[in-house]
Amino acid sequence: MTISSKPGSHTAETVAQEVQRFLEQRTKQTWDPDTDLFSSGAVSSMFAMELVVHLESSFDVVISGPDLALDNFRTVNAMTAMVLRLREAQP
Amino acid sequence: MLCAQVGPEHGGTGLDSRANGELTARVGARCSSLRSVMTSQGMAAWTVRRLGGPEQWDTFLPRLTSGDLAAVGFSEPGAGSDLSAMETEIADDGAQVVVTGRKVWITAAHYADLLVVFGTYRGGATAVVVPAGAPGVRITRVPNPLGCRAAGHADITLDAVRVPADHVLGGTGLPLPLATTAALTYGRMSVAWGCVGILRACLDAAAAHTTTREQSGRVLAEHQLVARHLAELYVAERHATRACEHASASWDTGSPDMAVDAVHAKYVASREAAEGAARAVQLLASAAASDGHVVARAYRDAKLMEVIEGTSEICQLILAQHTRKPTQHTRRKVQA
Ligand SMILES: Cc1cc2nc3c(=O)[nH]c(=O)nc-3n(C[C@H](O)[C@H](O)[C@H](O)COP(=O)(O)OP(=O)(O)OC[C@H]3O[C@@H](n4cnc5c(N)ncnc54)[C@H](O)[C@@H]3O)c2cc1C
Repeated sequence: MTISSKPGSHTAETVAQEVQRFLEQRTKQTWDPDTDLFSSGAVSSMFAMELVVHLESSFDVVISGPDLALDNFRTVNAMTAMVLRLREAQP
Repeated sequence: MLCAQVGPEHGGTGLDSRANGELTARVGARCSSLRSVMTSQGMAAWTVRRLGGPEQWDTFLPRLTSGDLAAVGFSEPGAGSDLSAMETEIADDGAQVVVTGRKVWITAAHYADLLVVFGTYRGGATAVVVPAGAPGVRITRVPNPLGCRAAGHADITLDAVRVPADHVLGGTGLPLPLATTAALTYGRMSVAWGCVGILRACLDAAAAHTTTREQSGRVLAEHQLVARHLAELYVAERHATRACEHASASWDTGSPDMAVDAVHAKYVASREAAEGAARAVQLLASAAASDGHVVARAYRDAKLMEVIEGTSEICQLILAQHTRKPTQHTRRKVQA
């Protein structure tokens, strides 16, 4: 029995690991959890959309409206925090 | 039907991208103007879904599924391919916002009840839903478009138009490239499937004509040079269809590649449609040379599909950018 109706259970650690795995697969490099993707890398709007859709389908959340703000995607830690918040808010 | 991917909870039919694509192709085979209106309606609904919050879905989506028509405005006199040059401004004023700017070539704006207008907001950008009848809105139909002539293209002037603040989708400023890419991804899918429809109409017309009309003692299709055109037209239709099917599968499975696959599908399908329609005119010759003929319309409409929702050149730039992975060493701003 889990409290959340979301499939799978996730902690900050498992979310961060999955985000890092995806970034590494897509960019062929590793990313520290607090490295700023946008100021330190060439991030196109297509890549930003890849992140949005990947987070949505991996963690069964909807990222819409104000949640699309760049700050939520700036670092692995920021994405992790948003995913955990949305999983809490979207049972 | 005009925005068939909206779910039943908002009065829609909840088709997936693939089924909506096939529907779009069917409409597109008969009339690219109606298909363009569908593209705008679906893109408006998708923009509300992506950029808006749950209360805004409940407010606007049922209107879009129950007969209100919508248009989506990105383009401006100084901002065509370069949307970062957009000057339309959404400014806070208490419980309202004030929208000021000009939009050009907006499909369906002539018929629309609601205008989904992109503009800058709080240091970023988003879209605002403006009733077409609001004071300060002026809509002027584009005279004599080259193609999609019944799609109601119009220029829009917004002169300090006041709307309630909760019409600002998301209620916050987002990065402009992300906001526009999110919206355009739907439009690109719709245009791409519409191009598949154009190709199917051309293929049907060319096959019918070349197997009935005789010249030099045999039906046209038995002349090898004609047969090659038919083969190429068939390949074009298959090629465009496969690109669309692939992009729809990405959409329906939530693949991270869905946005870039939509650009790819739109690029491939519009190029094939423009080339295929020209080929069909060649095959029908004088039979397709009068303006109302299905192949003549396809020829005019298909060319415009290489211009809208990101020109072919802009698609090429996006696809080229996609091949270059982000690195931690280059310094570069978020770009379209
Ligand atoms: C039938 C039709 C329907 C439309 N419907 C809508 C609608 O519903 N909503 C809306 O917002 N807009 C709409 N538009 C406008 C459309 O989006 C623009 O026409 C399109 O984005 C191109 O902009 P432009 O016409 O200003 O051309 P420009 O941007 O001036 O481009 C002219 C040429 O230069 C090339 N070019 C420009 N910049 C670059 C670059 N950086 N690198 C390489 N090549 C470049 C272009 O590819 C093109 O070939 C519509 C247009 C048409 C024709």
